Formats: sequence, C-alpha cells, structure tokens
Amino acid sequence: MELITGRIIGQGLGQGLGRLMELGIETEIIYSFVIIVCSLMIYFGTKELYGLSSHKGIKYFRQSFLFFALAYFFRSFIKIILLYFGRNELINFLPIFGSITLFIFMYFSSMAIFYLLYSVMWKKWDTNSKKIYLFHLLALVIAILSILFRNPFIYFSINFLLLFFVIFTFHISRNQSKEKKRKQGLHIIYTLLFLFWVLNIMDILIPKFFKTFQLFIYLTSSGIFLAMLYKVLKKVGTN
Amino acid sequence: MAKRNRLEIIRDILFIIRENHSIKPTPLLRKSNLSSFRFKKYYLELLNKEFIKETYRKNKQISLTEKGSKYLEKYSTIINFIDEFEL
Repeated sequence: MELITGRIIGQGLGQGLGRLMELGIETEIIYSFVIIVCSLMIYFGTKELYGLSSHKGIKYFRQSFLFFALAYFFRSFIKIILLYFGRNELINFLPIFGSITLFIFMYFSSMAIFYLLYSVMWKKWDTNSKKIYLFHLLALVIAILSILFRNPFIYFSINFLLLFFVIFTFHISRNQSKEKKRKQGLHIIYTLLFLFWVLNIMDILIPKFFKTFQLFIYLTSSGIFLAMLYKVLKKVGTN
Repeated sequence: MAKRNRLEIIRDILFIIRENHSIKPTPLLRKSNLSSFRFKKYYLELLNKEFIKETYRKNKQISLTEKGSKYLEKYSTIINFIDEFEL
C-alpha cells in the first residue's frame, strides 16, 4: 500500500515538474511582456536626459533597448506561431513569411547588442563616426546568413563568434580604461546580457536546443532586464 | 585645469546667464572662457535647443528659458547616469 502511494506521489510530482518545464504560449507571452516592457521603460525613461544633453552615449544606450524591444517582439511572434501550430521551425512551415520574420528578428537583436557595445565604446571609436554603419552592415550580413544557411552548426558558430567579439572588445576596453573606479556590477550585468542574448537567439534558431534549461534562461534573462531597469530608474529618478 | 567637456561647457554658460538673470553676449563670451569660434558654436546650439533666448531692449540681452533651467536642474542626474553606465 505504502509502495503504491509512494509511486502515485512520485508520478504526480514528475508530471507536475514536466508540465512546469514544458513552456506554453502563456509563459512566452509573460516572458516577452516583461522584456519588452523593461526595454521600453528604459527607452522612454531616458528620453528627457537625452533631450536635454544630446549625449551620444545616452543615444546609443536608448537605441539598444529600443532594438531589444523590437527583437523580443519578433522573437515572441515566432515562438507563439510555432507553439500554436505545434511546429519546430518557422522557415519550413511558412517559407517566405518565416524568412522575413527571422531576418527582422536577427537584424534587430544583432543591432541591439551592437548599440549597447557602441554606447560604451563610442568615445574611443568616434574618430570614425561611420562605424555604426559598419555594424548595421554586419547585422544585415548575420540576418542574411541565418536565413541562407539553415544549419545548426553555422548558427552556433556565427553567434558564438559574435559573443566572443562583443565580450572581448568590451573587456579589453574596460581593462585599458584609465578610469579610477569601474563599475563591477555593470560589468557583470553587461556580460550576462550578452551571453543570454546569444542563448535567446539559439533558442529560436535551433529548436529544442535548450528545452531542459528554457525556464532557467527565461527567468535569468528577465532578471537581467529587471536589474537594468532598476539601475536606470534609480539614476533617472521617478519624476 | 582639466579640459571641460561639452556638457560642462553648456552648464557653465547657462550658469553664468542664470547668475546674471540676463546678460549681453560680450560679457558672456568673456566669462565663459571660450574662444569666440567655440563660443559661437555653443551659443547657436543653445539657441537652437531653446535653452536660451535673445531679448532686445536697448541692446541684445540673453536670458535662460525654462528648458535651460531644467538642464541645470538635471545636470547632476545626467552626469550620474553617464558615469553609472560608462557611456
């Protein structure tokens, strides 16, 4: 009797945990909502500071979060369609529509990260202010490659090369910085933001790649964006 | 003395105007410690952004607008924000 009861409880717990790990449309909507709202609050919350100062760093920082909001909108759009129709890949399911949506998502998400990197690096790079156009070109190339080569290995290589480039540039720049006090907290948040950005892209490009860790990725990504929003609101003030 | 950045120069110019309520262009140029070329550049920027306004009585007088006062009020917030995010 005890053995049967134990088995029933075990099965119940297993099913419950399994259901929790299987993320549905509701989870996708909540996740996207949190990220999009955080990004837009950062964008609009810094509007006055940029309006008054016209500071390039603030401009690129704001644009980065606008692009994050757009990228996550298209990401959730892709995810909801896939979940609703029970498909794994959008391009196989809807070739033209899927390619366009994936192209836009890849372009916006690459630009979001490039703008964030540029907001920190612009003072060093501003000798040639056309560098941002180079990033737009690079984001376009990444978006085109993602559609042309529908190969998980290519996706993996492109995104981790990019992650390496962004984190390496960011860290080298910070280590060379003559600033006396560097913000360690910001350093960690930016590194995690770059890392989880790539994990979110991989989650879209390679279906079921992170199935087991998806909830963890969603919770951590939401935590990073909420931490950024908190830091911004604390500095900008609530008025 | 360290070279002032763009935001500091704007703050200094606006601060001088606020201290004097309204001021003529020549004393403002002198007090802002800028070359006439750089002063003209900043002056036009402040006029275009409506931080300052010109009024004519006997002579041309420069005074602060509400937006200019807002800049001075928010200056430390702007600097703290730039510093916090290393922008």
